[in-house]
Amino acid sequence: MAASVWLHNHATNLARAARSMAASPLGSLMTISVIAITLALPAGLYGALENAQKQVAGWEGKPQISLYLTTDGAAQDANPLLQQIRALPGVAEVTYISPEQGLKDFQAVSGFREALNVLDENPLPAVIKVRPGVTAENPQASRQLFEQLQTLPGVETAQMDLAWVQRLHSLLELGKRIAWVLSGLLGMAILLVIGNTIRLAILNRRDEIEIIKLIGGSDAFIRRPFLYTGLLQGLLGGILAWLLLIVAIALLAGPAQKLAELYGSGPLLGYPSIVTGVALALIGAVLGWLGSRLAVARHLRDIKPR
Amino acid sequence: MITFHNVFKRYEASGDALRNVSFHIEGSQFVFLIGHSGAGKSTLLKLVSAIEKPTRGQVIVNSHNLNKLGNRRIPEFRRGLGIIFQDHKLLHDRTVFDNVALPLIVAGTPHQEIQKRVRAALDKVSLAHKEKVYPITLSGGEQQRVGIARAVVNRPALLLADEPTGNLDPDLSDEIMDLFAEFNHHGMAVLIATHDLRHIHRLEKPVLELEKGEMVWDDDEDEDSY
Ligand SMILES: Nc1ncnc2c1ncn2[C@@H]1O[C@H](COP(=O)(O)OP(=O)(O)O)[C@@H](O)[C@H]1O
Ligand SMILES: [Mg+2]
Repeated sequence: MAASVWLHNHATNLARAARSMAASPLGSLMTISVIAITLALPAGLYGALENAQKQVAGWEGKPQISLYLTTDGAAQDANPLLQQIRALPGVAEVTYISPEQGLKDFQAVSGFREALNVLDENPLPAVIKVRPGVTAENPQASRQLFEQLQTLPGVETAQMDLAWVQRLHSLLELGKRIAWVLSGLLGMAILLVIGNTIRLAILNRRDEIEIIKLIGGSDAFIRRPFLYTGLLQGLLGGILAWLLLIVAIALLAGPAQKLAELYGSGPLLGYPSIVTGVALALIGAVLGWLGSRLAVARHLRDIKPR
Repeated sequence: MITFHNVFKRYEASGDALRNVSFHIEGSQFVFLIGHSGAGKSTLLKLVSAIEKPTRGQVIVNSHNLNKLGNRRIPEFRRGLGIIFQDHKLLHDRTVFDNVALPLIVAGTPHQEIQKRVRAALDKVSLAHKEKVYPITLSGGEQQRVGIARAVVNRPALLLADEPTGNLDPDLSDEIMDLFAEFNHHGMAVLIATHDLRHIHRLEKPVLELEKGEMVWDDDEDEDSY
């Protein structure tokens, strides 16, 4: 078969697939929408988690250790302790926050002012913030430093910020893994949805398939329009998924911005890029093609003559 | 062109449709296949076009041994045949032109060639002026002629027709039989199943007769037997 004929064949099939979809717009729209939602869900989840993880990665590099000093020694001079801490290996920066300073900071956070005014005594302990240097930036070294600081006299409790950051990090990692598993399951759902659409299309065109077989049409020839229909529906579903993500993120942008401000982080949600759109369209197209390929292989065998 | 060697065909549901059928059709002959309803004419044509497989025996068509023909090579084999069905089997959502073009499209014929050959085929059956209409708007005789144009458009070596004039009045069916005779005159082998004996006397062509699934050798009518 000449290349031009081959090309013309494919163009004709694509046009015919588009026309047959236009002939039943409601059914096609429903299939495309189901594909779009099914693709948008894991893609949105994954994107959000990945974005959050990027924000967390910014914090992880600079863990902070907070030492809460015993309150009974509040009046006493913290300077010797500060000297001692500064002398420890792996310590980059030491900041002393007196109970008075702590109270002021606390009052700055709105809503607490009145509550604190009721108390006639400052309940806050003095706090020393320690930032490990580069030598102690790996988790193990920070942990060692943390244990050392914890046992110092005058220290009531010690807290390492890194711990929750790490917990959050593993949580996000787990979330991403869930998004992957979800993608796999939903991908199978797409195969089934497309497969069912194609099954109905084949049933509708039973007579046509029979006639084409009788006049010598190969299975590949008969398969082609259905593969194109699946491919086109998957492709459009992928593009619609991308648009859905954009709309969803536009709707969530306000609250997400507030949350980000509270945590002092960068934007928590990002709009999906063109690359994401292309990727979704491609994934949709591949799933659409595969779904119809499987359905056609199964249902074509039932139509006589063989 | 067609050889049957001791062919049996048994349907699970209804038993033997053909029993020990043997015959040979040489070159580009015009042969009638006759017999009462249920004699096995359609079954024989289905074996020739590889729509059904024989239960036993050997079928050779157009130099293809159908017993050894794999499923993948059946489409290619069918492209060498022209098949005409009693119920026309036209696609009602495509124009007359597109219906006739189908065997060429299936075979990957270049675009210009398709235009030329479809017009020539429609011209042969006197339907050139109807190429843009849909089959549903045509009369039964016209639809049958579209089916004939589609069967001959890829210039098959063998033309098969199963009761092609079954639903037509005598004048129309004579016209269609004459058309087949003309194709045969141009070198196409023709095998036509019919129970209308009128054509056999009119055209004086060799006859194969089936009775209850078996071949009948009728020596009384020399000019008709084969
Ligand atoms: N697909 C089929 N399944 C079961 N029995 C069939 C089938 N086709 C034909 N038969 C039986 O085979 C016999 C021959 O039928 P057929 O070839 O259609 O005869 P004709 O075309 O001469 O009328 C009949 O008894 C018919 O009932
Ligand atoms: Mg019959």
